[in-house]
Formats: sequence, structure tokens, C-alpha cells
Amino acid sequence: MMKTFSIGGIHPSDKKISKDCNIEILPVPAKVYISMAQHLGAPATPIVKAGDSVKVGQVIAEPAGFISAYVHSSVSGTVKSVGPRKDLAGNFVTHVEIETEGDDWAEGIDCSDTLITEIPEDNKAILEKIKLNGVVGLGGATFPAHVKLSPPPGKKADCLILNGAECEPYLTSDYRIMLERSKEIVIGAAIMKQVLGGCPAVIGIEENKPEAIRVMSDAVAELQKTARGYDGISVMPLKKKYPQGGEKQLIDAVMKRQVKSMGLPIDVGAVVQNVATSLAVYEAVQKNMPLISNVLTVTGDCLPMDRQHNYKFRIGMPLSYIAEYAGGIPEDAAKIISGGPMMGKAIAELDASTVKGSSSLLYLTAAQTMRGTESACIRCGKCAEACPMGLEPFLLQKYARNGMMDELEENAVQDCIECGCCLYSCPAYIPLLDIIRIAKGDVIRIIRGRVQK
Amino acid sequence: MTQTIIWTIAILTILGMVLAVVLYLVAEKFKVEEDPRIDDVEKVLPGANCGGCGQAGCRAFAQFCVESEDMDKCFCPVGGNDVMQQVAAVLGRTVAAKEPMVAVVRCNGTCENRPKTNEYGGYQSCRVKAALYSGDTGCSFGCLGCGDCVAACQFGAIEMDPETGLPVVDEEKCTACGACVKACPKNIIELRNKGRRNMRVYVSCVNRDKGAVARKACKAACIGCGKCAKVCAFDAITVENNIAYIDFTKCKLCKKCVAECPTGAIHAVNFPVVNKPAAPVAAKPVAVAEAKSVMNKVEKSNEPVKKEE
Repeated sequence: MMKTFSIGGIHPSDKKISKDCNIEILPVPAKVYISMAQHLGAPATPIVKAGDSVKVGQVIAEPAGFISAYVHSSVSGTVKSVGPRKDLAGNFVTHVEIETEGDDWAEGIDCSDTLITEIPEDNKAILEKIKLNGVVGLGGATFPAHVKLSPPPGKKADCLILNGAECEPYLTSDYRIMLERSKEIVIGAAIMKQVLGGCPAVIGIEENKPEAIRVMSDAVAELQKTARGYDGISVMPLKKKYPQGGEKQLIDAVMKRQVKSMGLPIDVGAVVQNVATSLAVYEAVQKNMPLISNVLTVTGDCLPMDRQHNYKFRIGMPLSYIAEYAGGIPEDAAKIISGGPMMGKAIAELDASTVKGSSSLLYLTAAQTMRGTESACIRCGKCAEACPMGLEPFLLQKYARNGMMDELEENAVQDCIECGCCLYSCPAYIPLLDIIRIAKGDVIRIIRGRVQK
Repeated sequence: MTQTIIWTIAILTILGMVLAVVLYLVAEKFKVEEDPRIDDVEKVLPGANCGGCGQAGCRAFAQFCVESEDMDKCFCPVGGNDVMQQVAAVLGRTVAAKEPMVAVVRCNGTCENRPKTNEYGGYQSCRVKAALYSGDTGCSFGCLGCGDCVAACQFGAIEMDPETGLPVVDEEKCTACGACVKACPKNIIELRNKGRRNMRVYVSCVNRDKGAVARKACKAACIGCGKCAKVCAFDAITVENNIAYIDFTKCKLCKKCVAECPTGAIHAVNFPVVNKPAAPVAAKPVAVAEAKSVMNKVEKSNEPVKKEE
């Protein structure tokens, strides 16, 4: 019996249409716009100004707080401007505009394909490298990786979980890197595990990706045979269920431990990192390569098979450039989503640029995005059954609509992970998540305000 | 038989008398002293329980009025000065009349002025929409048009104009309770002085982007050029964060700023028509000229007919 998380969850059709498309490398456009807010926490402070010439991998912005990250130039050329530009939600964010000239890399970066299996011993130096190279979690939340890898004093990691679940329908970027960069991912896992004090590492992959499970297992076996420091790494096939890739759900599936309300994974001895983050850690530590590129899926039902792609992009490329390069926007696409169809965001500004955490350009048709007309709750309880956090969305939405903050807190609205299972399962088309998300923000603000007092 | 009845009556009578004494004693012991004036004040209040006064409801406000030393702190926006005069009369105090206020929508981003850049297909709520993204137009400060303010108004004083997509305040019905001000996630609605004979001058824009960016997103945006502040003789206009603001306590309704504004972002409402400059006056002669030319045509076309006769 394969493992999975214990409560709730849904089974949307996985639609991994682009799973057999190799990762292609996108050519560098004439101009890139690098956002200063590519990570969770305070936006980075730019340290370049218009007229400066920069090389690929050069630091262009420094972290502006403890939870913040370095940002590097993804191209070589001249800085044209530093100023506000719209992100994909249409909000103004400081961007550094760079005009590309050639492809001149900064010194000390190893661009070769040679695999380095020897893991450096100095953990402090490793963490410093991860921090300086701007590595952030690439699973969606873009939380700075070095912060997650330094547990607070008194807390110890019992297990490092590598998230290869990729439970969102359509997305195949993690799948492709697991097939094509399997060894690098395992080395990255070994590095992180060493930093965390030698705890075991588990790579969780859903059963709908048998090829990835096989390739990753082979990579682990081979590295364990040929090099030192790879003991205790294993691949764990997981039953397919959404949202398996949620941090708390994955910990439940792999370790059978539950993170308490408002708690952190480290409280139960778990550290979860995405497989793409592991790859970024490998490149940062072994190759001294900053996080300036990632893999993105261009997909959708309305795209023919030959126009489905997995691209390796450099950060700062405008989304419109990628869409254009991939053959333009299909005519019947009504909505373009960045991220998966469950938790991704509709793009309001196609001229917005890619960020470290960009994972897809997903074209949905009008029929797929249409919302049904809202009707009254019929008390079927489907939303409560589907909620992976064990909440009662029908109740929460009632409280939220009436502004009953105390009741919302008692019923743990702050634990909502915004996975969208309730909205997906509701036969009355009640906008459960839309309403609960707002209430969650309000309640968390109240709780924080109370702590500060 | 008669004895049973007599006994029953006797026992019940005694029981009743004993319980009456107990109830009397309990009532005396636990008596709550409440100022009778609270009831009197509550009777005068409108009973909307809207919370516009800052209290939990009309009863709470009545209590607040009775307990409060300073009548200036108490004001019922729904009842206005009339009700406050009555409250003062009940309490045997005097109260200074306050300027009546009205909710003002500070956005003129009509469909024409502010073209849509994308289509919003989500849940129709301004708060939800604002949490998701900047909105379906180029302006990230303007009205989102989902009508949270309409839902918040207990007096039916706000309605969405289907043509412009903006909310319209009915000045007669608006009580300035401030519910819409709190409901608007973009802080567009402001409570402003009703003004002499309802005349008001205000900046109908809250866009804090730089001039060029704001202008590109909306034809009627305030670009923060500061021309209005220069022309104002009463220091009523301040320009901060690329947006002009007219202080209604200083504004003397001279309307110099209205003529000066290059984008028409400053609105003057309810001014008598005779004072209105250029546009409407110019419109009339055109209409008359048109009418005349039409009449001429009719006369001319009639001429040949007459000749035939």
C-alpha cells in the first residue's frame, strides 16, 4: 500500500500533456527585466544603476532583511534603468532593466556539464554559498533556502523531504528535471542533508510518474556505489492525490507526523525542499552558479502536441517573449495561468517578466475557466471531505460572510493552505476559497497584532 | 367536595402571597439602576443600528450620550443635526450644529476614460478582486466596480451606474455613516462636507502613480502637476504622492482649480448652471443653429410644392 496524506484531498485529471518534451534552452532576448521581489519576504535592494555594465551571474541586488535573497543578473550587458514595472498581477515592483550584449559570465562560475560528486565538508561555507547564490524554494512559495536549512537552536531535523510530487495537473517541469538532471538532484539532496546534520533524506514522487521513480532510484543507487556521503537517501513512491505537494501534506505522507496549527515543519523535525531547489543547491554549491534560471512548462489542452514545451529560461525574460517564441498564444485560450491550474495565478500582464519561481505558462480555454452560477449550500459536506487540513469550508465561508472573527479563529481558518480542494468539489459553485482566503488574512493579522501587544 | 375546593384556593392564595413577597425582595435586592434618560434618548434616535456613530448600536449610543460630558464627541450621522438637537433637549444640554457630510466617490475611471486591459472572471467582490491583483484596467488605484460599497450601504444610497461602471451616491439618501468608506478596499470613498447648497469641489482620483503612468491608464487621472495648488488662493490644495487633495474645511468653492486642471480630475458638483463656463453655454448655440438649419431645409423643401399649387 503506497503512502499518502491521511485526510481530504481530491483527484483531478493529471493532464501531463508535455511530459515527453525535452527541456529546451530559450535564447536570450534583447532585454530582460529582473524583479526585486522574486522571493518571500522583503524585496531585495538594487545595487546597480543605469549605465553599469553587468556580467551573467553578477549580484545586482542585496537582501533587505533576514528573510530576503540576493538577486543576480541573468544576462550580460548594460543596465538601462532601475524602476517600477508591472508584475504579472499588475502591481508595480522595482525591476532592473538590462540590455543584452553577448554572453559574458562572471568569474568563478563553472558552466561545464561535469558532474561533481565530492561534497565539501564545511557546512558553514555551503550555507554561505547557498545564500550568496540567491537560492530560494522553487516549489511555489520561494522561501529563501538558507533560512530553511538553518533550523533555530534547540530544533533538529529528523528527515529531509524532497518534494517531487508535482501534484498540480499540467505541470511537468519538475518531472523533466528529475529525468534529465537526476544525479544533480541527488547530490543537492546529499548536500542539504549534510548541512542539516546527516538526517535521512526521502525523495517523494507520485505514482503517476513511474519513469521518474525509476530514474531517481537508479541515480541514488549509482551514487551510493561510487561516492561517499549518499547513504540514507531513498526514493518513496506516493499515491497520487492532490495536494500531495503541500508541505504539511507531504510530511504527513512521508513521516506520519502532523504539523500543529500555526506551527512550522521543523517543529516535527521535517525540512521540505522541492526537487528544483535541490538542483539549484547543487549548482550553487558545486558549480558556484547563482539561481538565474529555472524550467517552465508551456502547455494547455488548446495547444497541439508539437507546441507543448519545457523550457529552461533565464529570470527576467518577459512572459510575452516566451509565449511568442513558443509559437504565439493559441486563439481559443481565454486565460493564461502562471503556475498550476489549482493554485496558479491568472496573468493580468503578459509583459511581466519571469521570476525564480515561475513554473508554467498554461493556456486554458473559456470552457475550462467558466464558473458556474452560485447557488445555495446544500450541506452535502463535499468540501469538508476534500479539505486536506480537516477544516469545514462551508462553515468558514458562512462565518466569513458575516465577519465573525472569533468563530473563524476557533475553527482554524488560519490553517487553510489555499489549495482550492473545497472550491473544486463544491457542486453549488460557492466561491469558498475566495471568501476564506480573505478571512484567513484578516484572522492572521488579528493573531499577529495580539502577539505584538 | 367543597372542602377540597376551599383547601386548594387557600393553599394557592397563601403560596401566591409568599412568592410575591420573595419576588419583591429579590427585585429590590438585584435592582439595576439605569438612567431613565437613556430610554428617552433612544426614542429620539433613528434606530438604524448602523454603527456610523462609532458605537455598537442606537442603545449603546444613547448610553454614550448620557454618560459623555462633552456633547461634541457624540454625533449621529444618520439623524444629523435635527436629531442631535432633540437629544440635547432631552438631556438639557446644548449642542453646536455640525456640518452635514456626504460620501464622495473619488474615481472617474469610466469605461471610456479608463479602458480595460484584461477580463476579470472571478468572484464579484471588490475585496476578493483587490486581493488577487491590481484590477482589470491599467490603474491599480481606481474603482474595481464589483459593488462592495453598494452591499455595505444600509440606506440604499449607492448604486452602480451600469454605463460608467462606477458607484453613484444618492445625496438625499446618504447619511454619511461611513459603511461604504470601510467597505472599499481601495479607499476611494471619502466623507466630505456637504457644502453650501450642496456645492462641492473635489479631486475625483486617488492614483498615486507618476503623472505619465497615471495618464496612460486613465484619461481623467490626477497627474499631480500642482497647477491647482498654485492657483488656489486659500491654501486648500496639497499635492502629495502625485495626487492633489482639496481640504474641504478651507475650500471656498471659487472653482479656479476646476478650470485649471488639465485632465478634468477636479469635479465641481451642484453649482448653478449660470456659473458654468464654456462647455454647456457653447453647446446651446450649436443646437439652435442646427435647429435653424433644419427649419431652413424644411422651408426650402416646401417652396417648390407651394409653387406647383
